[in-house]
Amino acid sequence: MKLINRYVTEVGKRLPLVKGRKDIENELRSTLEDMLEDRAQKSDKPADEAMEVDLLKEYGSPQKVAETYNPTPYLIGPRMFPKFIIILKIVIAAVTLGMTIVMAIQVVTLSPMTGMELLKVIGEGLLNIVSTSIAAFGNIALVFALIERFAPASEFKLDEDEKWDPTSLMKEPEPEDIKAWEQILAIVFTFIVISIFNFNPQIIGLNYMTGNEWKVIPILSEAFFRWLPLMNIAWVAEILLNGMLLRAGKWQISSRLFSIAIKVFQIVIGYFLLTGPAIITVTAESLKAIEGFDAEAAQILGTMAQQGTQGIIALVMFRIAIDIIKSVVKMFRQKTSM
Amino acid sequence: MTNTESFENVVLELRRGVIVLAVLSQLSDEQYGYSLQKLLSDQGLEVDQGTLYPLLRRLEAQGLLESVWKLEEARPRRYYVISAEGKKLLPKLKKEWAAIVSVMNKMLA
Repeated sequence: MKLINRYVTEVGKRLPLVKGRKDIENELRSTLEDMLEDRAQKSDKPADEAMEVDLLKEYGSPQKVAETYNPTPYLIGPRMFPKFIIILKIVIAAVTLGMTIVMAIQVVTLSPMTGMELLKVIGEGLLNIVSTSIAAFGNIALVFALIERFAPASEFKLDEDEKWDPTSLMKEPEPEDIKAWEQILAIVFTFIVISIFNFNPQIIGLNYMTGNEWKVIPILSEAFFRWLPLMNIAWVAEILLNGMLLRAGKWQISSRLFSIAIKVFQIVIGYFLLTGPAIITVTAESLKAIEGFDAEAAQILGTMAQQGTQGIIALVMFRIAIDIIKSVVKMFRQKTSM
Repeated sequence: MTNTESFENVVLELRRGVIVLAVLSQLSDEQYGYSLQKLLSDQGLEVDQGTLYPLLRRLEAQGLLESVWKLEEARPRRYYVISAEGKKLLPKLKKEWAAIVSVMNKMLA
């Protein structure tokens, strides 16, 4: 019986830490002893070690036996797996696109540069894409594994199972219906924008070379960062709106109203940016201060930069105003069709 | 996947479906794991221990079986018996089974 006891201990070591582990061990021991006794009776001789070895060999390795008791064999179960893949694809695509844009901005702002410098920027950019993608993969897998562990899909009915109605296939897609991936992408990008402006504003800078030294002038002025808290409110509100749309699956009166409120707020911010002190540091004076910069060119470039920025802000405000009008029209159409 | 593997997998799936019913039907009198396995085997249903023991635990957790430890021949044994809830479920399962058999017999005739 020595081998049986050791075998049971080995199985026990591999069992999941669940209640009743000792019970499983005791039951296994008593079963193996019964089986051994049976064999001894059938062969008409007392049980010996060789018989024990044969029995345990047939019963299987301790690992295999322990696995049959394992209640949670999945890290991410089959019902959640398709959702995991969708989110993973979207986030990896967003990360790759975002990092590629950052890399492209670096290439443009650092130009002209030597071949080696270009290779370095591209190499670092690619490394960033790979390491950020791996980190994103890890985080998403962790979130899904936690959901699987503490709220497994097999134990609750997913909403879509109950709500799904085959007649939904018969109607034409409505303009109010939203595409989930657009909202998820919008959320991811808003997060990227928030993190750049709040935590890495140095990315947006003007790089130039004097002598053998690279210098960076931050493009955005202090006046810009004074309005950042208001912009943060608008971005967070956008994330909330996209979350609302994802949950509802379509535009509703409440989400339209919320969206219009956000847009009005954005126009107010735009007005402050337009009428307040310059939000970018590139002026005729700052350019003239750069060693070797032609005074006339500095004057023209500085004026262009200031007026260009104001022009862009005005255009964006105009665009938002049109969006507001469109939203109001759609909202009234939706109301009348209800 | 070879043909033999596909065949074995299908057979495994078919058997997996009937084991719960077979076990519940045999536990109106209490049995310990090994005696239940022999009881099933004697009637022609071979069930692997790796399937039977975790299944007994699962059915007990679901409230369809009850179990108690007894000391016999200087050996502790865990005896299983169908619970009140299991007794309520069994006739419904038998009816389902009869319907499946009747449909499949017609289909395969």
